[in-house]
Amino acid sequence: MRIAIPTWSERVSPVFDEARTVLLVDIEDGRETSRLETSLSEAESAERAAKLAGLGVACLICGAISQELEARVSQVGIEVIPQVCGPVNEVLSAYLRGAIQEPNFAMPGCRHCCRNQRGRGGRWRGGRR
Amino acid sequence: MKPDVRDIILDSIADGVFTVDDQWRITSFNRAAEQITGVGRDEAIGQRCCEVFRASICESDCALKQTLATGRPIGNKAVYILNANGQRIPISISTAILKDAKGKVIGGVETFRDLTVVEELRKELAAKYTFADIVGRSPAMRRLFDILPEIAASESTVLIEGPSGTGKELFARAIHDLSPRGKKPFVAINCGALPDTLLESELFGYKAGAFTDARQDKPGRFQLAEGGTVFLDEIGDISPAMQSRLLRVLQERVYEPLGSVAPQQADVRILAATNKNLAHLVSEGRFREDLYYRINVIRLELPALRDRREDIPLLVDHLVAKFNRLRGKDVAGVAEDVLALLMEHDWPGNIRELENVIEHAFVLCRGGLIQVNHLPPSLRPKAAAGARWRPGMTLEAMERVLIADAVRRHGGNRKAAAAELGINPSTLFRKVKALGIDLPEK
Repeated sequence: MRIAIPTWSERVSPVFDEARTVLLVDIEDGRETSRLETSLSEAESAERAAKLAGLGVACLICGAISQELEARVSQVGIEVIPQVCGPVNEVLSAYLRGAIQEPNFAMPGCRHCCRNQRGRGGRWRGGRR
Repeated sequence: MKPDVRDIILDSIADGVFTVDDQWRITSFNRAAEQITGVGRDEAIGQRCCEVFRASICESDCALKQTLATGRPIGNKAVYILNANGQRIPISISTAILKDAKGKVIGGVETFRDLTVVEELRKELAAKYTFADIVGRSPAMRRLFDILPEIAASESTVLIEGPSGTGKELFARAIHDLSPRGKKPFVAINCGALPDTLLESELFGYKAGAFTDARQDKPGRFQLAEGGTVFLDEIGDISPAMQSRLLRVLQERVYEPLGSVAPQQADVRILAATNKNLAHLVSEGRFREDLYYRINVIRLELPALRDRREDIPLLVDHLVAKFNRLRGKDVAGVAEDVLALLMEHDWPGNIRELENVIEHAFVLCRGGLIQVNHLPPSLRPKAAAGARWRPGMTLEAMERVLIADAVRRHGGNRKAAAAELGINPSTLFRKVKALGIDLPEK
């Protein structure tokens, strides 16, 4: 499967709606098999979601994402793991070992999950496929 | 100042305030900042500002970075942030540099104001000047809005006249929607687009066997609109033969489908529109006088856009909001010089042309304000200037153009126009009179 991580200065891009670059990583049997970087010039939500779908992305790991764009991306069948921060390589290896829900990868104020100990309640929605 | 005193002061401010050190880590975060971003102070302190603030400009155009690089503060820049729930919050930000007692730069400070309420008020204001999807606050449009409900409530035939692109169908739809027939069908047909025989079968339908390929009955638009409204667009373009058939429908409320011998009753209200002057066509003998009087029971004349320039800013706002919705974009509006160009343009294609211009700009504008370079080339200043200045113009003629343009650009405000031209308002009045300039109303 292919996962996408929007990147900026070697970290997860803070706002996916405005991210310009995305790292595509192919994973087989829990191991990275290849990676490539591509640019995201699409400003419109529907186009951005369609571009990811066209690139064969199955899972998007990103920072903040607007509700509208998250809905669009989910609509095209892509799993979204939002509110993730940190250096891209560390985020990727945490994902591969099933540890992306660790609090140190949660954006400040993350309400999505139990990753952030201050973000009480709620259950982690994402996870590995 | 002790940190706890500093926090008390910061928390008493209604605007969000945060400070960063030279590594872009947040060093203070006031209560308003917590409320606007949805991120608690304890979570924010020590974190990278872009991961707490999540502004649209963090990656591409960070205002704090600019301020730290140039030393110049930035004021009231309109951006949006994503709060902790993923909602887009419109804000305006201001930045400044932070120095210690020795003048050494130790970081930056950013203040930001939640514009959600302002945006809502703006929307409310727009709603006040919007009537059944029609936008305008000019006297001409307000007069139309005032009489529209009465016109809708009546059963009378309405003739809507106005140049192309002024929204004749929108008015027809509004009349239908507001009328007691509002829940029944609204069927529109462009009479100018079809040849006579096709128009007849489209309007009245046909019976099986009426002609070679008529294998089964086909209902016409009058039948499809039964109980509702038929909108006949470009009625000035129909042939004399069709005029007499339509006259019968209007007079007797009956029509005959092609190939039928039995007349059918038509319970429809007829609205007609044209971009031609029907009275003129009547005087030329190209339009039946009796049909004209049947149609012209109530006549609405829609003004050209150049005759209601004061509506342009409102229409631009409306169109920007519409395309933001359609395209999922976040364009904040148009820059001041763009609005000046739009106010100046003659708009031969009226609102349709304005809509096309904004749509064109949306393709090129990624976000923020629409700038001059996002406009179609025909609207950019060089082309506009070229069209106005002819070689061999007298000084008087140039003055006439400059004064008329300046007054128009300022929405009829003579004082502002005089200020722009660098002359006294009384000089402007004198020149207007002397040169016989025809100025728009204020």
